[in-house]
Amino acid sequence: MQRTVTVASRVGLHARPAAVFVKAASAASLPVTIAKEGKEPVNARSILAVLGLDVRGGEDVVLEADGDGAEGILDKLADLLTEDLEG
Amino acid sequence: MRSRPLAVVAPVSGRAIALSEVPDAVFAQNMVGPGAAIDPDRGPGVVVSPVSGILVKLKPHAFVVTAEDGRGVLVHLGIDTVNLDGGGFVLLAEEGSMVPAGAPVIRWNPAAVEAAGLSPVCPVIALDADRTAAEVLTGTVSLGAVSAGDRLFTWA
Repeated sequence: MQRTVTVASRVGLHARPAAVFVKAASAASLPVTIAKEGKEPVNARSILAVLGLDVRGGEDVVLEADGDGAEGILDKLADLLTEDLEG
Repeated sequence: MRSRPLAVVAPVSGRAIALSEVPDAVFAQNMVGPGAAIDPDRGPGVVVSPVSGILVKLKPHAFVVTAEDGRGVLVHLGIDTVNLDGGGFVLLAEEGSMVPAGAPVIRWNPAAVEAAGLSPVCPVIALDADRTAAEVLTGTVSLGAVSAGDRLFTWA
């Protein structure tokens, strides 16, 4: 199951917003991947991988998880990305 | 599996402090990862790579180097410095290139960062280290004066 989300944080998924996102993904009961549109997905539980994506504010990312509870997990992570985590 | 402990050197000269002293909750609570921080000497300075490896990400205010075994170290130059949009930072290396530990990566001026109302404190973070393992980082320098290139901590 996939979800496309626009990253709200003006500065993108740099150190602090990425840390908040990775922490939430690590707490999820299923593995989650994150990708820039049309690009290779990476492990959303890896801060190194997420920083490597270099997602800018206003860019779309695709989250993916499969299995029981995937929808709830994607909802939660999508909500995080649409908040301004710099706030 | 991981082979050898990874020696992480100080990217800037200054005073090594515990991450918990960084004026940013996300860094101070180890949310980005465990590590240490340096309160840099004020005045123009050169930031060096903390490990030998590939400069996988290079921004004016932060960079990540992955060592040969794949472990990544983040150096963040000051807090909220992303908001400076690169002003005052000069890149001395290219993203994607190999950098030896101690090689120049960025030129900056912590005094100018401070004058802009931001903290110039530099977190140095072991990315994806097991946050629950207290022994992940050993040999953290007796917090105090360090020169760029001095051992800051060892990533077991």
